Amino acid sequence: MSRTVISLFERSYKKARGHTAYQVLLLLAGLPLHLFTYCSYIWNRKDRQYSSMLNAARVQLADEGRKEEWLEEYKDQLERKRKFFGENVSSADIHREAEKLADEKLTAESERLSEMQLTQMGRQKETYFTYFQSLLRNPAFLIVSLIPGFFMYVLLFLMSNPFILYITERLLQSIGVIIGVAVLVFTILYVSPFDPATNILGESATQEQIANFNRLHGLDLSYWQQLWNALKGIATFDLGSSFAGNENVAASISNKFPVTLTIALFSVIMAIVIAIPVGILSATRPNSFLDYSFMFVALIGLSIPNFWQGLIFILGFSIHLNWLPATYSPGHALSLIMPVVVLGTALTASIARMMRSSLLEIINEDYIITARAKGLAYGQVLWKHAVGNAMIPVITVIGLLFGGMLGGAAVTEKVFNIRGIGSYIVDKQFIPDIPAIMGGVVYVAITISLVNLVIDILYALLDPRIRSKIDHS
Amino acid sequence: MKKTIRKRHSLAVSTEYTQANFTWVLSLVLTGIFLWNSISFKTGDIHPFAFSLFGVWAATTCFQVYITRKMKKDLLQTGVIPPATRRLGYVQLVSLAAGNIFAGAFAFNLINAKKSVEYTFAAYTLLTQFTVLAISAVNLFKPYVSDTFLPSMGTLLLIGVFYLAVLILVVRHVQEYEAPRWMTWVALLLLASAVTGNLFALLLGWTLLMKTRSSDRSRMLKWNVMWEKITRNSTAMLGMFFILLMLAISITSRFTFDYALAVENNYSAILQPPSAAYPFGTDNFGRDVFSRIVFGARISLLVGFAATILPGVIGGFLGAIAGYYSNHVDNWIMRLLDILYSIPGILLAIAIIAAFGANTVNLIIALSVGAIPTYARTMRANVLMVSNYDFVDSAKALGESNFAILFKQVVPNSLAPMIVKSTLTIGGAVIATSSLSYLGLGVEPHIPEWGNILKVGSAYLETNSYLAIFPGLAIILLVLSFNFLGDGLRDALDPKLD
Repeated sequence: MSRTVISLFERSYKKARGHTAYQVLLLLAGLPLHLFTYCSYIWNRKDRQYSSMLNAARVQLADEGRKEEWLEEYKDQLERKRKFFGENVSSADIHREAEKLADEKLTAESERLSEMQLTQMGRQKETYFTYFQSLLRNPAFLIVSLIPGFFMYVLLFLMSNPFILYITERLLQSIGVIIGVAVLVFTILYVSPFDPATNILGESATQEQIANFNRLHGLDLSYWQQLWNALKGIATFDLGSSFAGNENVAASISNKFPVTLTIALFSVIMAIVIAIPVGILSATRPNSFLDYSFMFVALIGLSIPNFWQGLIFILGFSIHLNWLPATYSPGHALSLIMPVVVLGTALTASIARMMRSSLLEIINEDYIITARAKGLAYGQVLWKHAVGNAMIPVITVIGLLFGGMLGGAAVTEKVFNIRGIGSYIVDKQFIPDIPAIMGGVVYVAITISLVNLVIDILYALLDPRIRSKIDHS
Repeated sequence: MKKTIRKRHSLAVSTEYTQANFTWVLSLVLTGIFLWNSISFKTGDIHPFAFSLFGVWAATTCFQVYITRKMKKDLLQTGVIPPATRRLGYVQLVSLAAGNIFAGAFAFNLINAKKSVEYTFAAYTLLTQFTVLAISAVNLFKPYVSDTFLPSMGTLLLIGVFYLAVLILVVRHVQEYEAPRWMTWVALLLLASAVTGNLFALLLGWTLLMKTRSSDRSRMLKWNVMWEKITRNSTAMLGMFFILLMLAISITSRFTFDYALAVENNYSAILQPPSAAYPFGTDNFGRDVFSRIVFGARISLLVGFAATILPGVIGGFLGAIAGYYSNHVDNWIMRLLDILYSIPGILLAIAIIAAFGANTVNLIIALSVGAIPTYARTMRANVLMVSNYDFVDSAKALGESNFAILFKQVVPNSLAPMIVKSTLTIGGAVIATSSLSYLGLGVEPHIPEWGNILKVGSAYLETNSYLAIFPGLAIILLVLSFNFLGDGLRDALDPKLD
């Protein structure tokens, strides 16, 4: 048991040597341990031999007159190059250049020779990394160093499994992006030429009132302090109170977010249920009347602005036909239909087009033709071999468009008078209420990042091609 | 047996037959819409104007169906379309008078069996000019017209006659690879006339100039092959026609339309239903919605193009650098752009507008910033591919600097997917513009812009629904046109790109 753990640490440490970023991370994670081991490495370095070997090889090569040989060779090459391009280069320049190249060659060659000697002696060139690696092989060292090097061992454990490593990397990437988003949005709102205090208190506000307002909302602090407060607020779900109305921003956002999310989720479900069969039907009958009509309708669906579609739906189904309520009310299922359809139209159209092109491409692949040639029924080939593979790019598109949908929801929410996150941000931007806008935009971006993260991880779990790519990296 | 197969094949590959089918279906749909609108269901009344429009369109549709069936019979019997059937195209040209552009475009296509790129350009030049004249002529029903109306209409008419002459000259004198020397003057006149916004004239003039001046056949062949692919695609041509028509209208409307009718309040004509004087009715301030939509095209096109070109250039530059100087530079640029990419475009635009205020310039900037990552990704992918080609290696071997290789060799060869991408996304920019205006965050409310007009219309949905319907239709048509053109360009330039 303990042997497998030891070899696991050693293996993943060896693997990390190829990547500078991992090395740095490992060094940072086990900094106290590394400081200690580095001292001991310097102290009992047995390997002073290497440099003397290097010198010996250098002298030997110089004695053999190899350097002069190379110098002549390089000079000749440079001369020919000069002639070919018809350039005017002085012989001194050529000499200098050749000298430099010959020197480089000498160094490389002597390094090669001495390393060869080392391997002949059955040893490796000792560096700090090989030294540390040999230490890792020692169980006693492991037990002693477990506490100072705890984080490093956790890291090594994560690195040992390519799959966990992939997920960790992807997670860290998402966190980086989320912090970046928060910084970006905060900076945009910070550099705004508007002064929130005068905007909200009015032109007639006294100096004292303005100063009071600024102190209350932390606007008198420096950029970095404000930024830190904002980041802290986002991480702890405490965004303070809004500029106008004195409401708790985080509470309002958490009230409004589920509404938007519900509508968006229903839209995605509707889109998948409609678009995938449509895409498959179109792809199996390419260039037929059905295919043309479906794709034409899909293109129209892509070209309709949400707000216009919403208005026309209200005009048709609420005003003329009186079938559906014109505005959304929570808990009323019928009032959900129109917003869901409006929000999902563009997504449905994109998925249908994507599904068609993706499936068409796969149907023409060699392995499908092989399956058909073997005598498998068309339906079987289609469902067992083609559709599953065609879904992979479609799922990515769904993930990407989900983000656009959460953003686009602002317009749909305004049309149907839905009190979701989108219409909240729009309402607040007229003030402009900076904590509210910032919180709204950043939380939407976080949701999108998480959705994409989940999709990427699912992919890695499901798609053998991606899995093998991760394993081999 | 073999013969029938060949004839069936000729039916399947005939692009004219496909277009004929497309035309009658589209015509039929529009005829149905006219019929629907000519009868008011509550009272049972029939609007005489809409009903007569329906009648004429129904006639042209029937004739189109007749032509289509005849074409099918001809193709199945002989494998070619005989001149007698082609002559029916002259009759179908009359449908242009009823405003059936689709049938008109088809008729031009049918008349000439040997369709060179120049012929198609010339036909569409004429068609665009005709439509611009027809739309401008609607102003005659108004109580007053702008001071420059009559002279500019006269000029447009003269140019239209010139285009007709050019069409005939092109049919008679232009060969596949060469044109007579004197055509240079015609080409120069065409180029000059393109200032009216009729860019088909520019394309035609440029092609003619190439044919008269240059003896470089390979260059001409390349140009011809590219445009033949696009012109054969009837939906792409329809899209291009509508976009260039909007462009031409935005330029000529300065002289043929009265801006006062679009922006000044007229309390004697508030909320009037559509009529000859006000084809799309008037709004709550008595402003003519038709003029407002015509002037609104300007803003939509301007913002749409600007919000595509700006991020295209910036994103293209960043993507090219990232793709060419791989590893660290690539990583940094792409990770930073990932941040932008994870904020939905509309929300980022709202945040920028909240910070800097709502006006046209800020709107363009706000829409552009969010679009940079998409273009950067497209460019990067192409640069990565092109950088591996042999000509890049040979440029390196010749000692060119990296910078020069990137911008002289790699970038020009990765532009095609960028162009396709921008045509496909420009429609999105148009929608985003009007969406933000609808929310009150875009173009200033007093400027006639499609989103603004719709915002006013949404308040009168119950009583005056036309106020919301017509500007919406204009947006859809423009966006649809960009999507059609984008699809066509993609098929022509880069069949592998999705």
